[in-house]
Amino acid sequence: MSLIQDFTGYPPTWCPGCGNHGIGIALKSALVGLGLNPSTVFAVFGIGCSGNMNDFLNAYAIHALHGRAIPNAIGIKIANHQTKVIAIVGDGDCYGEGGNHFLHACRGNHDITVVVHDNSVYGLTTGQVAPTARKGYKSKSTPAGIIEVPINPLALALTQGATFVAQVFAGNVSQMIEIIKLAIQHRGFSLVNVLQPCVSFNKINNYQYYQKRVYFLANEYQKNNFELAMKKVVEVNKEKFPLGVIYQVEKPTFTDQLPQIKKEVLIEKDRFTDFSSLVKEFT
Amino acid sequence: MNFTWKIGGEAGFGIMTTGLVFSKIASRSGFHIFDYVEYPSLIRGGHNAYEVHVADFEVTHLKPIVDILICLNKETFEKHSSNLNKDSFVIYDKKEFKLEGDYKKIDVPFKKILAELKGQGVMKNTIALGASLAIIGGEINELLKIITEQFEKKGEEIISFNKKFAEAGFNYAKSNYKKFLTNWLTKKNPKGSLVMTGNDAFSLGSIIADCRLYCAYPMTPSSSVLSTLAAWQDKTGMVVRHAEDEISVINTALGSSFAGARSAVGTSGGGFALMVESISLAGITETPIVIFIAQRPGPATGMPTWTEQGDLLFAVHAGHGEFPKIVLAPGDVKEMIELTTKAFNLADIYQTPVIILSDMLLSESHRSLEKKWLDDFVKRYEIDRGKLINNSKFNPAKGGTKLQIKSQNFLRYKITNDGISHRLMAGTPGYFYQANSYEHLEDGHTTEESKERLKQVNKRNKKTITYLTKHFQLPKTYGDINQAEIIFVAWGSIKGSILETQKRLLEKGKKSALIHFNHTYPLDKDKIIPLFKNGKRHILVENNSQGQFGKLLQQETGIEIKEKILNYDGRPIWPEEIVRKI
Repeated sequence: MSLIQDFTGYPPTWCPGCGNHGIGIALKSALVGLGLNPSTVFAVFGIGCSGNMNDFLNAYAIHALHGRAIPNAIGIKIANHQTKVIAIVGDGDCYGEGGNHFLHACRGNHDITVVVHDNSVYGLTTGQVAPTARKGYKSKSTPAGIIEVPINPLALALTQGATFVAQVFAGNVSQMIEIIKLAIQHRGFSLVNVLQPCVSFNKINNYQYYQKRVYFLANEYQKNNFELAMKKVVEVNKEKFPLGVIYQVEKPTFTDQLPQIKKEVLIEKDRFTDFSSLVKEFT
Repeated sequence: MNFTWKIGGEAGFGIMTTGLVFSKIASRSGFHIFDYVEYPSLIRGGHNAYEVHVADFEVTHLKPIVDILICLNKETFEKHSSNLNKDSFVIYDKKEFKLEGDYKKIDVPFKKILAELKGQGVMKNTIALGASLAIIGGEINELLKIITEQFEKKGEEIISFNKKFAEAGFNYAKSNYKKFLTNWLTKKNPKGSLVMTGNDAFSLGSIIADCRLYCAYPMTPSSSVLSTLAAWQDKTGMVVRHAEDEISVINTALGSSFAGARSAVGTSGGGFALMVESISLAGITETPIVIFIAQRPGPATGMPTWTEQGDLLFAVHAGHGEFPKIVLAPGDVKEMIELTTKAFNLADIYQTPVIILSDMLLSESHRSLEKKWLDDFVKRYEIDRGKLINNSKFNPAKGGTKLQIKSQNFLRYKITNDGISHRLMAGTPGYFYQANSYEHLEDGHTTEESKERLKQVNKRNKKTITYLTKHFQLPKTYGDINQAEIIFVAWGSIKGSILETQKRLLEKGKKSALIHFNHTYPLDKDKIIPLFKNGKRHILVENNSQGQFGKLLQQETGIEIKEKILNYDGRPIWPEEIVRKI
């Protein structure tokens, strides 16, 4: 059995009141709750305030490049598919710089968990607008307000084939723990979009803003109903934010469909040595 | 025996397949081959040509005269007649075009045979190949055997249907052109040679080296590595991923490498450009990775199906920040096997990116490779994973290291004399560590402290010094430097052309030597300078417009080669051109 302390690295350097503190605690609690320990968890961190969790969480980890955590996570999973692989990323990181990887990871149903810190701004570069910010959001890079409409990451994940789509609020640690646990347990691509206030740079989407607009999905909500899920994920257009598992279905994962690693994980297989069978085609 | 066979026709009519079949027939008949393809970046409608140089001695490039030209259309003759002489055979169908000029004309009624046998247009090449075999004294059975192999899965009916066209062409030429029949391809003692391209050799090399993951996005001229390894994966157990873009390609491979699998990626210049930020990530996280680049003429989309050595300096300098990197550039198919397998060891030993630089010429031209050499090489080759600690598969006989780690605090980036730290197999119970893209402490945690920064930069730089001491290999010299009037200096795939040039020069009584670099970067100044201290005439020969290796050599050693022969029209440099320019 592991303890929270086993996962605890350096003391966090996030701003006081930042949603990241709650996310960090929730993540560690979920890992402990699942009986994992720092040697059985593979984590890939993006670059941003979210990615800075690399020094605060003990695990086999890559602190990756901005936007590229997902392909790193996919690579780890292919090489050692019996381990749990979690990508801890930001909204600019995952939906902006790495948007293409996000789409294709959904399509591939890669068995990784992506926890996105969605605070609508770039915190680490001091407050420029992120792709999830609402149209008209004023920031250092968009003083007249952003022209583009926000990306809808949940709808994107759903339509591109993700098999687990959830949303949580950084102000509710106990729900975060439960949902992150479910996401990690899910076999297939799981997205946990965390609505997270940035106390330093986002003066609009603060705790009060979210507290007024979030709501829990009802117990009887049918999470395997795609059409229903589609209705839920567009509620963001009316500034309503459903919390919980919005969609979950079981489908074969990417590595499930690789016959070459059916029996053994890739890194543990014996070396292939029947070269003469390959050379035949060159005669 | 020493002759050139060439076929040309419209793209989409099986020119590539037919050319390779001819190369294999020549190889199976006991000859050495070198072939070269010309094709536009189109699937249908352009002009394709396939040229095979055949000899009973080792051949490394093309020769100027085409001795037998098969024209599947008029354009072939128009485009390639300048390489014919009056002794050249020209196979064509006079119903298709009128052949002017003084050649040994062999009119084969392609259209009539096709109509009689109810064949499709694409079978014209089989008729023509059969006819050419008759003229040069080849065995029709060799062609029939290959047809059987090609259509094995399609059943006996298809096999015998296709054979009819080969036989028709063969018999027609044999009975109607008795005066022209030669014995050029009369079977010798076949030595069991293989017919391989550089891409084939990289693919096979990666399997020999136990590469477990290959990730790529298709890009000419590297794409056949992706398709070859993908076709093999059921057998080899390798995982081949065609990812959404080259950034995902290299980051997938870095993820799997971090997790302990030997991993490689392949691309051409444009795709490599997208990977560059991640090359730097591999540098600072000290993650092994092998990158295969098949160069083509740039900039941007350039000339996708042609050849150039234009990305050397780009590869050498790729990646922001300072970190060690190794660039190897094989000169031929054999060196591709040697250096690919070595690259995987070097990547593991130095925990850094290793780049294999090929180009369209090396990647797509077939060369003969003695099978016995390959068998012996495979036996000799040993996997060396350097300082990887894999307790589950610990084997001291294979250079593995067992490390007693006292605390959980594994020092992934521990300062060492050789600059290389132990790399614990990620997932080993009882430990954890991070591969950090930020500057880091010995244990992997982020730092911005001056002292720690200096330690880590120096540590990474030290790996280059260790490499130069332990694994760098001096350029190979071909010919006797002491007796040579001219010393060529070159790198990578251009080797074959210069070796042919040397033969031509010797025929004219001129002795020459070639200093050929395949361990292209980094370079060991102290060991290289003495090679050039002879006061002789050195000529740099490269397939690019700026003499990139010359610049690199000057940058690294101070040696400046003033005389240059550079070719950058998208074609390989021809021996005749070098001879002419000397």
